[in-house]
Amino acid sequence: MKRKFILSKSKFRTLYSLLALVLLFTSSSFAQQSITGKVTSADGETLVGVNVSVKGTTRGTTTDANGTYKIEAASSATLVFSYIGYLTKEVVVGNQQTINVSLAVNDKTLSEIVVVGYGSQVKKEVTGAVQTITAKEIKDLPVSQIAQKLQGQVAGVQINQTTGRPGQGMNVRIRGQLSVSGGSEPLYVVDGFPITGNIGALNPDEIEDISILKDAASTSLYGSRAANGVVLITTKRGKSGQTNVSFNVFTGTQVVPKKGRFEMMDAVEFAQFKKEYYEDAKQPVPAEFQNPSIYEGKNNDWYDAVLRRAPLQSYNLTVTSNKDRVSTSLVAGVFNQEGIVINTKYQRYSLRLNSEYKVSDKVTIGLNIAPQYVFDNTPRTDGDRGTGILFNAIHTWPVMPIRDDKGELTLFNRFPSSTGNIFAYPNWVRAANELVNETKQTNILSNAYISYSPIKGLTLKSTFNVELLNQKFFFFNPSTATSAINTAVPVTAVSIREATDNLGWLNENLATYVKSFNNHNFELLAGYTNQSFRSESSRIQADTYSDDRLPTIQGAINIARGGTSSNVQEWTLTSLLSRLAYNYKGKYLLTASIRRDGSSRFGSNNRWGTFPSLSAGWVVSDEDFMKNFSKVSFAKLRASLGVTGNNNIGNYTQYALINNTVNAVFGNNVAPGAAVTSLANPNLGWETTRQLDIGFDLGFLNDRFQFTYDYYTKNTTNLLFAVQIPQESGFTNFNDNIGEIKFWGHEFSLNTRIVDRGKLKWSVNSNISFNRNKVLALADGIDRVYGLHHITKVGEPFGQFYGHLANGVYMNAEDLKNSPVVPGRSFVGTIKLVDVNGDGVITNGGDRDDRTILGNPFPKFTYGITTNLTYGNFDFSVIGSGSQGNQLWVRHLYSTANLDGVFNLHREVKYRFRSEANPGKGFYGTTVGGGTATGIERDWQNSRFVADASFFTIKNITVGYTINKRNKLFRSARVYASIQQALVFTKYWGGSNPETSAQQNGQGDGGNLSPGVDLFNYPVPRTSTIGVNFNF
Amino acid sequence: MKKSIIFSIALSLGAFSCSDDFLTVTPETALSSVTFFKTESDFIQAVNSAYVPLRTLHNINSHLLTEQHSDNARYVRNVLFGATENQSNLADFNVPTANGITTNGNVLTAYRQNYLMIARANQVLALIDAATIPDATKKNVKGQALFLRALGYLDLVRYFNKAPLQLTPVGNRSEAAAALGTADQLYAQIIKDATDAVGLLPAKSVQEAGRATSGAARALLANVYMIQKKWADAETQLRAIVSSGEYSLMPNYADAFSNSTSNKNTRESVFEVQYLEGSAGLNGNFLYSMLPFPIAANELVTITGTSNPQPLSGEGNNIPTPDLIEAYETGDKRKDATIGYITLGGALHANKTFPYIKKYARPHALHNNHGMNWPIYRYSEVLLFLAEALIEQNKLADAAPFLNQVRTRAGLANTTATTQAALRDAVYQERRVELAFESKRLHDLVRTGRLETVIKAYGDRVKADKFRYYFPSEGFVPSDAFTNITPYYGLPAAEADLSPNF
Repeated sequence: MKRKFILSKSKFRTLYSLLALVLLFTSSSFAQQSITGKVTSADGETLVGVNVSVKGTTRGTTTDANGTYKIEAASSATLVFSYIGYLTKEVVVGNQQTINVSLAVNDKTLSEIVVVGYGSQVKKEVTGAVQTITAKEIKDLPVSQIAQKLQGQVAGVQINQTTGRPGQGMNVRIRGQLSVSGGSEPLYVVDGFPITGNIGALNPDEIEDISILKDAASTSLYGSRAANGVVLITTKRGKSGQTNVSFNVFTGTQVVPKKGRFEMMDAVEFAQFKKEYYEDAKQPVPAEFQNPSIYEGKNNDWYDAVLRRAPLQSYNLTVTSNKDRVSTSLVAGVFNQEGIVINTKYQRYSLRLNSEYKVSDKVTIGLNIAPQYVFDNTPRTDGDRGTGILFNAIHTWPVMPIRDDKGELTLFNRFPSSTGNIFAYPNWVRAANELVNETKQTNILSNAYISYSPIKGLTLKSTFNVELLNQKFFFFNPSTATSAINTAVPVTAVSIREATDNLGWLNENLATYVKSFNNHNFELLAGYTNQSFRSESSRIQADTYSDDRLPTIQGAINIARGGTSSNVQEWTLTSLLSRLAYNYKGKYLLTASIRRDGSSRFGSNNRWGTFPSLSAGWVVSDEDFMKNFSKVSFAKLRASLGVTGNNNIGNYTQYALINNTVNAVFGNNVAPGAAVTSLANPNLGWETTRQLDIGFDLGFLNDRFQFTYDYYTKNTTNLLFAVQIPQESGFTNFNDNIGEIKFWGHEFSLNTRIVDRGKLKWSVNSNISFNRNKVLALADGIDRVYGLHHITKVGEPFGQFYGHLANGVYMNAEDLKNSPVVPGRSFVGTIKLVDVNGDGVITNGGDRDDRTILGNPFPKFTYGITTNLTYGNFDFSVIGSGSQGNQLWVRHLYSTANLDGVFNLHREVKYRFRSEANPGKGFYGTTVGGGTATGIERDWQNSRFVADASFFTIKNITVGYTINKRNKLFRSARVYASIQQALVFTKYWGGSNPETSAQQNGQGDGGNLSPGVDLFNYPVPRTSTIGVNFNF
Repeated sequence: MKKSIIFSIALSLGAFSCSDDFLTVTPETALSSVTFFKTESDFIQAVNSAYVPLRTLHNINSHLLTEQHSDNARYVRNVLFGATENQSNLADFNVPTANGITTNGNVLTAYRQNYLMIARANQVLALIDAATIPDATKKNVKGQALFLRALGYLDLVRYFNKAPLQLTPVGNRSEAAAALGTADQLYAQIIKDATDAVGLLPAKSVQEAGRATSGAARALLANVYMIQKKWADAETQLRAIVSSGEYSLMPNYADAFSNSTSNKNTRESVFEVQYLEGSAGLNGNFLYSMLPFPIAANELVTITGTSNPQPLSGEGNNIPTPDLIEAYETGDKRKDATIGYITLGGALHANKTFPYIKKYARPHALHNNHGMNWPIYRYSEVLLFLAEALIEQNKLADAAPFLNQVRTRAGLANTTATTQAALRDAVYQERRVELAFESKRLHDLVRTGRLETVIKAYGDRVKADKFRYYFPSEGFVPSDAFTNITPYYGLPAAEADLSPNF
């Protein structure tokens, strides 16, 4: 490609010379004179690298580090000064010999520079689907994670906060991408370095801007890691000729509003339920429940008891400077959040120093270094009945005392078994207070680079990036508390220690050549990169302590072998990449790119993957015929096509592994055993996504209204999947690349500056996205894969809720007689299921299965709206984010509506079927019949578990006031008040967070094949803060 | 331009030249199959792993499928618990089965664990002949692998009467499914493997205690011949065991079963599944699935003797039926050794005293973790098999002494039966009480063609008096109970979904 380019270049050169000759003859020629000058910005900053050219000729130069230039021009000539981000200025030479120019900043967003993969582009010339967010737009949100700040801001990107655990749980999905077993998180690239660590720990104040790459044309340069989309993060740099010091601080408080919580029975209601339970079964009522009114005023709200009002604070100092060849930026941050569950604490201390030094006009070196320390302690809040204390708390009988008569926290509670109490309920307040579950993380992210421009237009850049992480996890369960239900306290004390050391590095060598002539503009990029990652970890579990105060390893009587292990995970990646961007007059745009990735994760027969893309754009508004449409200030059509991959397939999945801990016993001796536990697949490879994107950008009324539309369609094939195989093989599955999923969608963004008149400015930005998917194929011979309450079936959308269709309860004997039943288990008042296959009998599983698709965890559309209003020094902004048509599986209902009364119950169970005369609301069935009858309602997954989880959330409201008066203390200051997670509008009844998911990856609830499950995660608090930004 | 080319070449050169090495990253904390199966130790470890599935197969699973699914054991209904159908359907003979396929989870476990054992044996058998390891080790390891494969297929053929016949290790997805073998094909393979194993395996006195022996292989082979009614062939194998001098009955019946840490692999033991108490995950906990629930900690501790008893709730399973309790003759010492009684304060029953299986109830250190072994073949069964084989050949006088040897130890007088039919019944009766709760009952009823009559009558008794069969006042016998009395289980539905062959 390069060779060809050089050939054509020489042809153009001939053409050029001819053209110059013609010009010489036609224009009346005057004597050339030497002109010098300095270019500055409107506020006096030196501008380096400004293009200065003689209009109508090929002659040109750029300003040096002092902003000065020298050029030869005739007195009749016109000089053109152009600089990215500024309005181009033309000056007639006349008889001047010194021409100093000041350039005005171009407000028009289309001249903005957009960071794209391995470079940057003028926004107008971008041919892919790229959306950018600048730090300014999201600065006031009092949250710790960047993804929280992006909620509702980007079309086509669904960001859900699945848990309120500080620093955790942001689920980011670009264009609905998903995977059967790999990860679906986008690739995060910080200052050119695709990181492996947790992006949630990055201090958002270090960020200058973010580019979200959505289509294949913009992502395919990231090859086998690009299929989930790419998020490029650029950290703060010094601005030309300026030194800025700013200090930002906010402090606030978090609460979980009472409204919206899942409603459970209080003590009186629960006692009443128990009383009715025995009455309906015609059994004597246990003494404890004969008179429910004795619990009047003695309610124990266990859920509320583990929550609290909690403070948070953030401090950030930013210093940026760019003077005399040296550019530096420093960001120092402290973030401190106490969680709204007792004993939760999240602290982050972060530092970033970015510096760049221009050694000469040709050589620049730079070093960014960002060390960080994160401390996190969270009680075991999230999880199933086994371990999650929030889940356990709502299940605990409200008649059980949190504190005893002396005001001390009880150890655990258990009623006599005659009351139907099966489980021991430990005291969750104790569990939250006394369990240690802390992670300490130290990490360093660094980039070093040298760039060299040997000739005009050519830049060679070599970078070396290092990512280090040291993480220590410590868990201690003392003898006096536990997060596990059905455990009498005291318990056996247990400690777990985990230590992880990660080292990742990346070396990139890039060459960029830029050339323009006669309105033909080329940019050629070529690169060669190597990346490596290694993680070493160990875990020690010890138990049985003589003293809870000394949870050392040596203090334990027993080392638990099953919980003690060491592990190494490693991968490497070698890549070649190239891109050619061409445009004519900035009007006809064409970009082609290609990347080849060789990965240690891929099987030996399939080690290299190729990921090409092609995109084109046409700036219609630059055509002459558009001059008649003066209201249309900008119009561009775009189309792109490309291939990307997902290499989240595990590091050693291709190998047949021997497990050498399959130990036998002979007599009282352990005999080491070893067995092949997985099958090799030397053909194993990446997941492939082919994507087509068509879109357009429109600007009206001098870009006061900007509209962007994208349609995309993509097909993901070769999904990594552990295909279940018949177990007479001795194996459960075979890791293979199978199947095909089709995704398609529409994205609309509308940014408007509705009012922009003097002191009053009002803008509204909004977006809406429609994402769809459909499974086109799975493995040969397999047309469905089951999740936990889900089915993924050929011809249907991915991960649909699956089970029996519930149709009320059997209202009376006649209803029972005339309806299909579960033999031996259906009675009047029990749940009535639909006989889907029409064989007259309700069957769960096997060859006569009546289960069917019940719902969809994916939204019909997601949307966001942001508005900013400023009047003089006052500003006001609101951010809203919504999702429509998504459903959740109310997983906890199998126990919070367990009709046997083993747990506390959802308040709605009050309106259950009790008799033909008192049939309730027809949703919950009778308690009579014990597990035989009630078990179906609970254990046979059915449509009662599916709830509409559409929502619209006011994510943030901020009001601010700016003091521009320069004084001794500061140059300017702004005071603001902000409410995060202000209001949630939803009909969702299964819990307080309609964005929740029990987890995000893996095979459990909420994982890959089982999306959209509510397991009562940490609630997302409402946070009210006040803050001040000082500029010095 | 030249300079820049040199610059970029210099930058990239080092990394380019070693890209293949750079891209090869093998796991450091696990071995790969490429490097394994070379040394003597590799093959010993490999055959050891083939024993492991036995721990799952007999840690209550076999008991549920052959004893709870018979007239020997039942569940104790707890109306507060659902999701117990996998166990209760076995006891109630209403295992959901359609088109020869069942969704019962215990059936699935038995199927999968047997094939896991078979696959690990196949892995050894495919490679061991070519391995350069000492001959004695080679014979011993191969014999053990053949024995375990035969044991696996015997289990499968008795449960299903047909099953995929997989004799070589599987290397990729296309080889995974194997064609269904008929009962004849499976039995032929078992006989071949067990016969070879007899020739390869050492006798018990020279084999490490707990591993398969020539005696164990003979017992297995005899078992197959008994099923096939090849009485003379069975007699040959059984007499070889008796005359080997390796085995004898323990004087006290209760001592035929191991304690948690002692009395394992006694001279009565022909083959037993080995468990080890402790935190290494090699323990059993089947005793905890043989108790009536809900049981309080102070009640449980009287049976288990642990230092940290925890109350248990749920549905109790594997509770001796009154039918079995009544089957013991007066004065039979085995009755007290086999069955105990416990009173549960929290039971939702009018009669809060329940029998439980005492045979395996030995004190151990920690809750839900014990090391008692599970008997597969005991010498007393060899004697009863031999007696039966002789009776069927009408060698009645030869048969009676073997039967009486077992009765004498139990404190009973010699049998009074004299006719072939009477002696046959006497052996059947003796097997029921001698081998109670050793995962034999269903197989015996099927083998002797008595399943339908015995279970039908038993079902009628359950329906006639549910409280006698441990139903609480709120409980009831399901309307479809005792409607599916068939000698074999349907093949598991989860596997039918995966296999093109059924």
